[in-house]
Amino acid sequence: MLALLKLLQSIFATLHSEGTPRQVAAGLALGAALGLTPLVNPHNLIVFALLCLLNVSFGGGMLGWALFTPVGFALDPVFHRIGLALLEAPGLRSLWTSWYNAPLMPYTNFNNSVVLGSFLAWLVLLLPIYLLGRKGITIYRERYASRVMQSKLYRALSATKLFDIYRWFRPE
Amino acid sequence: MKLFRWRAIAPLTLILGLIGLGWFLFGDRIVRRVAEDSATTALGTEVDIGWLQIRTAQASVELRGLEVADPFNPMRNQVEAGRIVLDLDPLPLLQKKVVIDRMVLTGLRFGSTRRRPAKPVKGGDGVAARVLSEIKTWTQQFKQPLLSLTPVDTIKAIALDPTKLGTIKAVEILSARADSVQRSLESGLKSADYSALVDSANALANRLSATNPSKLGVAGTAEAANSVKRTLDQIARAKQQLAELQKGVTGGVALLSDGLKAVDDAREKDYAFARGLMKLPGLDAPDIGAALFGASSASTFQQALYYGRMAQQYIPPGLQPWRKSGPKRLRMRGITVVFPKEHATPSFLLRDGKLSFSLGADTTVNAFSGSVTGLTTQPALYGRPTTFGARGALSGPAPISARLDGILDHVRATPRDSIDLSLGGVKLPAFDLPTLPFRLDPGVSDAALAFVLNGDRVGGRLSVKSNAAQWATDSTRGKPTGGAAGVVWQVVSGLKELDLKATLSGTVTAPNLSISSNLDQAVSDRLKAMAGDQLAKGEARAKAEVDRLVQDKVEPVRQKVTQAETALTGKLGGNQQALDGAQKRLEAELKRLGPAGGLPKIKLP
Repeated sequence: MLALLKLLQSIFATLHSEGTPRQVAAGLALGAALGLTPLVNPHNLIVFALLCLLNVSFGGGMLGWALFTPVGFALDPVFHRIGLALLEAPGLRSLWTSWYNAPLMPYTNFNNSVVLGSFLAWLVLLLPIYLLGRKGITIYRERYASRVMQSKLYRALSATKLFDIYRWFRPE
Repeated sequence: MKLFRWRAIAPLTLILGLIGLGWFLFGDRIVRRVAEDSATTALGTEVDIGWLQIRTAQASVELRGLEVADPFNPMRNQVEAGRIVLDLDPLPLLQKKVVIDRMVLTGLRFGSTRRRPAKPVKGGDGVAARVLSEIKTWTQQFKQPLLSLTPVDTIKAIALDPTKLGTIKAVEILSARADSVQRSLESGLKSADYSALVDSANALANRLSATNPSKLGVAGTAEAANSVKRTLDQIARAKQQLAELQKGVTGGVALLSDGLKAVDDAREKDYAFARGLMKLPGLDAPDIGAALFGASSASTFQQALYYGRMAQQYIPPGLQPWRKSGPKRLRMRGITVVFPKEHATPSFLLRDGKLSFSLGADTTVNAFSGSVTGLTTQPALYGRPTTFGARGALSGPAPISARLDGILDHVRATPRDSIDLSLGGVKLPAFDLPTLPFRLDPGVSDAALAFVLNGDRVGGRLSVKSNAAQWATDSTRGKPTGGAAGVVWQVVSGLKELDLKATLSGTVTAPNLSISSNLDQAVSDRLKAMAGDQLAKGEARAKAEVDRLVQDKVEPVRQKVTQAETALTGKLGGNQQALDGAQKRLEAELKRLGPAGGLPKIKLP
């Protein structure tokens, strides 16, 4: 429940004033990795660290995670096909063999069809998500933000103390 | 605008620290749970680990209370291990490879009763589930004869479906074959019509026989001799053609005879099928052995085959990429592909394993010891087969001995797995006898099991010898008095000796199991004496029912085949005779022409 509340707070705050549309869109694009690819994998630890350390919107990252998780589940069969086609491509076998036998590389789990397929899909979608996100945030802030900020739900959410924890990760 | 948010380093470090603390506190538990899940999925049966500790500094893992449930009996553990210590080679861990330098396993027990039944393994699409289902189907291939005497008179009618009778199919095939053979040979005979040749040869012979050679003169004689020679050449060619046709006819007739034999064979099978529908038991000695001990012998080989097939699935030969199901998670598991590299370390390798275990009543004494070397998932990289063995003996009032040797040779293209086990003085578990209301407790026995799985070929020998066998009736039903059960009970109830031999051969898809025991002949004789007449009556009924359905179809085809054979051989014979006759006459005329005309002797074809 607390996590959900925090998520809602961060989403609202992100949409309204936390950072520029570019920072929010960058966070959204990075956070999409957490949703599109299977979560418990080392690359997501790196993405999470980037979300924390880079001057992008952390809330945007959470928003991206929330938005793209159902998409990830729905597209798993497609990711599996893409991943398997690449893993079984004769031309790439030597590459996978050297990766698989290199130190630490097997821990990436890129030899799993869904992990590889979804990770590559995220890489391909990174720029479109960023561009669409930037445009969407700009339009939202211009047209709808003021109305949402007046709503009772928003005011109730922003009043809780948990909101303060979130401020550690606000864009500077 | 700054690129980095430096003040987030503190909370990020805190988060990573919390993850580290969580691992420190719960790592063992997580690894134990993951190990249990992975082993359960891999083996297709519940695997429990009582306790697990990772000793990071020593690069070792200690497990206690390992239990592997029997995939075919949820109330029994296949294996139970008291304590296992694994010393790992740390460097391959960087490549996510597990290399165990040394394993020490103590307190191993087999076939212990579980405290609670094993849970069925979820996820029926895995390797283990597939193998388990394959093996369960495998045992169904052994059709054990029944040992129940259904009164034949109570069966009013056998519901035989004519479409399921092999005879009818064989008759249809033979009928079509007879037509086709007859058509093709008759067209051959038509194209070789020799009546004109025979007529012309006979006319020439008639003409010459009415002529005096001395009046023909030299030129006339030579011309007549040439005519005879030409005709004889034609006859020789015709006879050659006829010989070819004869070959065709002989082949065709043989084909039809084979067809008739196939029909007869199919009819015998249909008789057996009808007997099966009437549930008539086989009462010959081999049938008795199979009826009494078929199920228990098949179940022993089933266990060996299960692990053999699992080894074939998990230890693939060669260096090809190997596909396996991805890890268990909320998201789709996908396929994980393993890419072996020549001269690299295998993904899993147990270099040397030492184990000690107990047999018999005293489970506190680990008097038996064994070893496993070179157990790996990538034998092509390791380059040597996995070998394992165990032996030991326990002296005292109830001496026990055990010897096990085994090899998993997946280095070559066709994997070959074998085990050779012999046990002396071991108390074997009691088992029920199928369709009979009693069970056999072999008691303290000597047993031996040899099993080989070579690619798809399977072979095995099982023997059990006991002087302390006990037969017990089903307490709910009391002592059997009538029917087959009563007869078997009369024969076996006082017997203490048991000598059972089972032999498995063939392929995984078409195995053969033959069983014999010291009880077979005695039970067979008694049953035959009691139920021989009734059985003969039942068999006659089954036969009559099949004959009723197939006779009107078999007879016309049999006649058709006979007619075809007679017609073809008759035509050939007639032609042959006519040509022979004409040839003889011409040769006689030529002889007559020869000396009179002063012609040189002509070499006849």
